[in-house]
Amino acid sequence: MSDPQQRTRNGPGVTRRDFLRGSGAVATAALTTPVPSLLHEAAAQKTEEVVGLGPKGVPIELSVDGAKIKNTIEPRITLLDALRDYMDTTACKRVCDRGTCGACTVLLDGKPVYSCSMLALEARGKEIKTAASLHGDGKLDPVPAAFVAADAQQCGFCTPGFVVSMRATLDKNPKATPAEVEAGLAGNICRCGTYEQMRHAIEALCKKGG
Amino acid sequence: MATSWPKDRRLIGKDIPRTDGPEKSTGRARYSIDMNPKGLLHAMILRSPYAHAHIDAIDVSAAEKTTGFKAVHEINGAGKEVYFAGDEIIAVCADTEEHCRDAMRAIKIKFTPLEFFVKEADALKNPQSKTISGPAKSNVAIGAEATKGDVAAGFKDAEKIVEADYGMPVICHQCLEPHGLVASWEGDRLTVWASTQAVVGTAQQLAATFKARIPQVDVKCITHYMGGGYGSKFGPDIQGIVAAELALKTKAPVKLMLNREEEITVGGNRPSAYGKIKIGGKKDGTITAYEVDCHGSPGERGGATVNLGLLPYVYLDTIPNWKRKHTVVRLNTGIARAMRAPGHPQNCVLTDCPVDDLAAALGIDPLIIRRKNLPPNDDKVAQSDPTAWLGQRNNIYVRELDLAVKLSEWEKKWHQPGQGGKGPIKHGIGMAIHTWGGSAVGNLGDGQPANDATVIIDRGGQVIVQSSTQDLGTAQRTVSAIVAAEILGLKVSDIVVRIGESPFGRSSGSGGSTTCPSQAPATLRAAIAARDDLFAKIAAKFGAKKEDLVIEEGKVVDKASKKGLDWKKACAMLGMDEAKGVGAWSSNMANEIDPDKKILVNPGVSNVQVGGVQVAEVLVDVETGVVRCTNFVAVQDCGLIIDKLTCESQVAGGVIMGVNYALFEDRIMDRHTGRQVNPDMEFYKLGGIQDLPRIKVAMVDMPERGVIGIGEPPTVSTAAAVGNAVFNALGVRVPYAPYSPENVLNALAKKGAKG
Ligand code: FES
Ligand code: FES
Repeated sequence: MSDPQQRTRNGPGVTRRDFLRGSGAVATAALTTPVPSLLHEAAAQKTEEVVGLGPKGVPIELSVDGAKIKNTIEPRITLLDALRDYMDTTACKRVCDRGTCGACTVLLDGKPVYSCSMLALEARGKEIKTAASLHGDGKLDPVPAAFVAADAQQCGFCTPGFVVSMRATLDKNPKATPAEVEAGLAGNICRCGTYEQMRHAIEALCKKGG
Repeated sequence: MATSWPKDRRLIGKDIPRTDGPEKSTGRARYSIDMNPKGLLHAMILRSPYAHAHIDAIDVSAAEKTTGFKAVHEINGAGKEVYFAGDEIIAVCADTEEHCRDAMRAIKIKFTPLEFFVKEADALKNPQSKTISGPAKSNVAIGAEATKGDVAAGFKDAEKIVEADYGMPVICHQCLEPHGLVASWEGDRLTVWASTQAVVGTAQQLAATFKARIPQVDVKCITHYMGGGYGSKFGPDIQGIVAAELALKTKAPVKLMLNREEEITVGGNRPSAYGKIKIGGKKDGTITAYEVDCHGSPGERGGATVNLGLLPYVYLDTIPNWKRKHTVVRLNTGIARAMRAPGHPQNCVLTDCPVDDLAAALGIDPLIIRRKNLPPNDDKVAQSDPTAWLGQRNNIYVRELDLAVKLSEWEKKWHQPGQGGKGPIKHGIGMAIHTWGGSAVGNLGDGQPANDATVIIDRGGQVIVQSSTQDLGTAQRTVSAIVAAEILGLKVSDIVVRIGESPFGRSSGSGGSTTCPSQAPATLRAAIAARDDLFAKIAAKFGAKKEDLVIEEGKVVDKASKKGLDWKKACAMLGMDEAKGVGAWSSNMANEIDPDKKILVNPGVSNVQVGGVQVAEVLVDVETGVVRCTNFVAVQDCGLIIDKLTCESQVAGGVIMGVNYALFEDRIMDRHTGRQVNPDMEFYKLGGIQDLPRIKVAMVDMPERGVIGIGEPPTVSTAAAVGNAVFNALGVRVPYAPYSPENVLNALAKKGAKG
């Protein structure tokens, strides 16, 4: 999964996450008010500019599942929001929106990342692949095919994220054992409870060798 | 003619992968949250940061000047009170999500904070206080009481009596797709793409909301895919109505979906249940008396917490003497909603955990008590309706206990409580049993069926099944396709199923595990009607009598001449016409009695009530307090299974939800700020694949009973089974879930202190 090391800092003392939402400002404001108000963003001050771009929109081109998509977006926008709100992508879902659940997982130059936890601008010039790419020419990739065969999905909302993580795990190590594949899915959460069926899918895939 | 399932079943009951699986697993399925109609605006709701406050003033002037601002819609204005952190105040609409957040930050609100309670114990200590809305005089409603037999005499009769505390915290639904919808008006016509488990109900509620202002209002609700509901998504809610209001105001489509914090704080929760329980019994396993005094909180509004009428749960009819009392404690917290078998898992913990403690006090295997106290068969019922639960429940439970004992290797693995090994890691095994109503297939107010399906066969042989019902992850498309394909002699992949659009006819909300037992029979009737319509329309061209035409796999055959025609060729005889059948199903039809014969007209089509037995195995580290659930056995009866593969996934999913409930989930409220401490996914913990047990599912197939829903039952006894396994490992009852390191170590320390 996207390791925490990848979360570089944007500027002195400002983590990327703080910058993304202006939530750093909310948290600071909360400390000075009598009652912390995480829900109540009204008290928050304007985020300081910490990089040279924005706050106005900048033109951006992203390569998503092989297509080049252009739009103008504000630099503060996450890759996830850019894909969903500005590029009409469906195969990465916004669930926790802060790097816990894995529903937003995409491949960035082949590496799985939480798209909610990086800026869209950082993905420029990189190859973004979502689960939708695993349906090439009407042929289902073995990973989603195994999910279907074992019924490792119910509502299906978490599933594209799991599929991308599993694809990445097997790409990295086609000889992975079931336990190793499970470890590769540790950063994803399913609420419907499809893990047992996922294990059936994993066993079938490991037998086949990815 | 009476409706019945075909006797020889080619597809029904087999392992059939869900038909929309490829779309879902590759993320191509477009959920309501993925709808981006042209010109879409975004809306968000500003909520109370206080658990209870008076709103003195709201100033939106600065917000109106922010970039991209479009409109506001006030929900609770100046002069009103808000009753929990997360209660709605005002909604904001802007051109992008980012601008919406900017505008929210620019709104200034003056509050006067008021007294509040967010912990059950605090409210109980202050029964004279009222910090909630509505007419009640206090937060504490001393609840219903009921008694059976002579409880004092029952305890006198007992050889051992156990008195202890048990409790389950509030947990949140945590649907991965949040509540909300996209609303778009075209004149008087409102279209919403909603994340709902009640497509028709959502359309109806929205129509009722706007009727006074727009008399001709026509609402269409679309839910092609939805990302989890578990009982929490039965209507548009405030956010859905607000989105429609803002869409009306701005004359543009508006999307309003809750963010994660909102989803957890206002999207629904399962009420807490804490009970003081006294149970007594004899060495032969007889329970002589049971007494429970419990309380729980459904949040600021709402009522039921446990299912008091069903306590002492499975043993209600067996235990001769019992007494129960329940107090509802309203708190300044988000409001409870139905959650997967509402009240039942709490009931099960309050009953089946004391049963194990009693067994330990008596020095016997808890299996002995369970076997001894199983509810009896009602022989009268068995005679009048051989498919009914009441007439055979004892036999079903015995069968399920035997199976669970075998699959879990109970005889080999059960040991005396506290004998789970010498090292710091202790092994434990525990059991619990459950029951659930299942299938109250709906009727409308006028007694008409609330569910129907349409099957259309065109001249190219294409079959389309249409129904307004929704798929919550329950494989509804697949179920409809299997039933139609079975009747028409086709392959599942030959059937096109269209669901999740309110104009497609009547359907009830997916609650109480009613969808499959309502929709499968409706589809069966529609497919039979469409087949017969086809026969009538092609008989002349076929050169056969319509009564002689039958379906064989892929063919229409004339019984008389033995002539068979390929399905497509037969359908081509429709010429410019099409064949069509409409089928309905309701509880009235399921329960209809022949006035002469005094028996059911349609026996074994759908049914009510199931049971189940679950066994959990755990490893508990007594040094760290960490509990791992390693193996799980779930035995479940389910009437006629339509799709074994997806049915078993439902059962495993129910178990996983129950293990999460037992080990990880806890809505933690902060007494000082009145806010939830963990409205997120990192500190509100749900297990990942490595945290959850291997699960063996065994379905007790009883096709003669007809279709029964399976969404809820398998989550009922899970937490109790895990709790009992932890007890078996430690020899100490961990009274309160989650059985987290903190609660486990506290229980061990208490025992240590007592010696
Ligand atoms: S939405 Fe990105 S990890 Fe949850
Ligand atoms: S399938 Fe519904 S959350 Fe995983």
